[in-house]
Amino acid sequence: MLLTASEAKNERMKVGLFIPCYVDQFYPQVGIATLQLLEKLGVKAHFPKQQTCCGQPMANSGCEQDAIPVYHNFVDTFQDYDYVVGPAGSCVYHVRKHFNIIDQTPKVEHVRENTRELFDFLINVLGVTDIPGSFPYKVGLHLSCHGQRGLHQANESEMTPVRDGQLKRLLTSMKGLEFTELDRNDECCGFGGTFCVSEAGISARMGQDRVKDHVRNGTQVLTGGDMSCLMHLEGIIRRGKLPIKVMHAAEILNGAIL
Amino acid sequence: MSNSREKILAAVKANQPEELPLPDVPAFTGDGSLEKFTTILEGIGGKVVPIRGITHLDVVVQELFPTDERVASTLMASSVLVDAQTPIEVLAAVDIAVLQGEFGVAENGTIWLPEANMLNRALPMITQHLVLVLDHKQIVPTMHQAYAKLGSVGDYGIFLAGPSKTADIEQSLVIGAHGARSLTVLLV
Amino acid sequence: MSHSQRSDIFLLDAERTTWHDETLWFVRQKRDKAVYALPEFQDLRELASQIKNHTLSKLDHYLVQFEEAATRNGVQVHWAADAAEHNAIVLGLIRKHNATRVVKSKSMLTEECHLNPHLIKNGIEVIDTDLGERIIQMREEAPSHVVLPAIHLKKEDVGDTFHIHLGTTKGNNDPQQLTEAARQHLREKFLAGEVAISGVNFAIAETGSVVVCTNEGNADLGVNLAKVHIACMGMEKLIPRLSDLSVFTRVLTRSATGQPVTTYTSHFTKPAPGKEMHIVIVDNGRTKQLGRPDFRASLKCIRCGACMNTCPVYRRSGGHSYDFTIPGPIGAILSPNIDMRKHASLPFASTLCGSCTDVCPVKIDIHTQLYKWRQVLAAEGEIPASKKWSMRLLSSVLSRPGMYGLGGKMARQGLRFLPHGLTHAKGYNPWAIARELPEPPKQSFREWYEQQQKVK
Repeated sequence: MLLTASEAKNERMKVGLFIPCYVDQFYPQVGIATLQLLEKLGVKAHFPKQQTCCGQPMANSGCEQDAIPVYHNFVDTFQDYDYVVGPAGSCVYHVRKHFNIIDQTPKVEHVRENTRELFDFLINVLGVTDIPGSFPYKVGLHLSCHGQRGLHQANESEMTPVRDGQLKRLLTSMKGLEFTELDRNDECCGFGGTFCVSEAGISARMGQDRVKDHVRNGTQVLTGGDMSCLMHLEGIIRRGKLPIKVMHAAEILNGAIL
Repeated sequence: MSNSREKILAAVKANQPEELPLPDVPAFTGDGSLEKFTTILEGIGGKVVPIRGITHLDVVVQELFPTDERVASTLMASSVLVDAQTPIEVLAAVDIAVLQGEFGVAENGTIWLPEANMLNRALPMITQHLVLVLDHKQIVPTMHQAYAKLGSVGDYGIFLAGPSKTADIEQSLVIGAHGARSLTVLLV
Repeated sequence: MSHSQRSDIFLLDAERTTWHDETLWFVRQKRDKAVYALPEFQDLRELASQIKNHTLSKLDHYLVQFEEAATRNGVQVHWAADAAEHNAIVLGLIRKHNATRVVKSKSMLTEECHLNPHLIKNGIEVIDTDLGERIIQMREEAPSHVVLPAIHLKKEDVGDTFHIHLGTTKGNNDPQQLTEAARQHLREKFLAGEVAISGVNFAIAETGSVVVCTNEGNADLGVNLAKVHIACMGMEKLIPRLSDLSVFTRVLTRSATGQPVTTYTSHFTKPAPGKEMHIVIVDNGRTKQLGRPDFRASLKCIRCGACMNTCPVYRRSGGHSYDFTIPGPIGAILSPNIDMRKHASLPFASTLCGSCTDVCPVKIDIHTQLYKWRQVLAAEGEIPASKKWSMRLLSSVLSRPGMYGLGGKMARQGLRFLPHGLTHAKGYNPWAIARELPEPPKQSFREWYEQQQKVK
């Protein structure tokens, strides 16, 4: 079979798959969906197994000095790839923004610049505009703050009333998919990394309020681009035994392409 | 005391960063219409009443406030004479102050009231009701034009936008906190 | 107590937490509406930010220029290195005039300096005239918000307070009637006030004027009836030019409450004939903050409160949970400069969602500063030792891929086979108080991937 020029380019592209530590351990299906989705779009991503974590848990706790060996491990792991792609806006944002405290050698700069959130990569590197498929459910889209406000992957309600964003556009192409109109489109879910235990009460309350917004407005499937927010929201949904299924958007999109 | 002055200035000098540029503020403009001004001012609790001219101001004021009697004004016959030296008790008894507003700002419904037009600095606040006469041609679009037009703020002056109000109890808007309970703008 | 401990107390009343969150969210929505309606709003934010950055970079120059202009205007300028000196200056001025009755309009600076207790201790009656401030003064509470000082109270609370202090009918909780009662009560105080203290929103270097913004008109009423006006300002209130006010008056109230402008934007330049005007310029830690490159931008703050209204943590924990004069995200970056140990938990009272930074009308990078304060606090040993050591341990695992793979597997196995009651025990797993742990899969992604590679 002949390949189109862009397909050939995608095939040649060297992409490192970055599966954040908690996804690796708790949500392998999200990693699998990410890998398969990329493959279906013509990208053969490789998972270098010496990867561990982006170092955010330490850094957000105030211990970024302790995270430096982790940063170096990340850079060494991924330095030879054209792109590093991960299904987690927050971790990607951490690499791009906060790896500034180590020596900015060419390899560090290369890795920081080319570490991309999955949907940002699909849209802005691969040029994907829509994904054919169907998903006949009412979908509540959770915007991760780091993806939205950090990586500018979606409009911010602080700036504009227009609710638009990369993931929303991709999901819009799914047949039968209807979005939940939330009362608060982009309020933080309250996960916040170590915040979820150091401020456990507020964190839980924020998550409960977020979930209520989805319940009130009829969400059947809660999705998003950041598994950490979804892990927290899922924990609350399961505790409340609520009839909402939580899926990473990579799972929805991967399931749609046959 | 002057010791602290020197100490503070020395610390500021030592700690402030390299000089950063002062930007020029572009002359943003906007809708400077009387309609916009009126809509905004009414939206924040002011009342706008077009009148023919100021010759029969007393009749207009009488119609607007039939039961209030003690009027202080630079523009019409006053029942209370007010100047900068007027004792507080006299000021406190004023029902209505009728004063000249200099110009209005359409984007926020505010009106410039310089000290020269106030009779007494406390009058615009202590009066129960405030009436400002405004030339309908004296409307500028935004605060940029407003401050450009002013040039100087004089010894004391207020941009005044509507009646005194508060929302300090459960965010419920209440008109008439400490200053004037109402603001009526008479457009000539 | 830490922020989270104080928050837990606030959260006990779930309904009130809902009310507090929704009330402030409503203010945030009013802000959004006003902001969306102004096409140049983002340009104005950038200008406001640049003007403030410039002013801070030449602050010594502008302070002197301001002092000279004010002095020419017949205003007496005083300098206070700290809160104690500020309070002493103010008390001295009151005493000089043999005054005992002081009316005060809103000033976060005098709250910061704890001026009221100082004056009261010295036999001065000081009455806060802003309605919200007066309410909390009667209740002997601190403000819980910089713009809405009594936002933590419901109308029933105010009704009870006014019943006790102003003799309103018990059970009368009507905001209109309660405000009228306060109007009558405060009129007497205004008429009797000998000295009026005000805060300062903006100080204009080129004219020596101070600008005060209120909705109630209480600053103007107090100042213009009293013999002496004392305006108290932090040194960061300066702006260079009168025309700069156009930028700041356009962003201040839109950000704060969604109003197009405050009812009164008052420019005090010279005292009225026969009266006195004083300005007290206060440092109280500001020069120190100016010397911290990562944190000096916090001095750009114009006290609009937008970061509080938008903060999902503040809305659910209340202003008092911060235990600092300025609560919310901006308070969390100002407070460690004043007392690192006491306020060590505040920079951690955030998910770093970044909404505060996005609403800030002078573009303070609040959430980045929160992150940076965490680093400073950890380096200074102001975070719990358990956290420090667990982060060290985590780092040693995460920088060794082999150890990480093994550790992860053990943790998952543990979760799979230990009973739910043990893994979700509230005592040592804060996650599980309100949440289920993820269901541990049999295989991690890396194990699956390796298996796939072998098959291929």
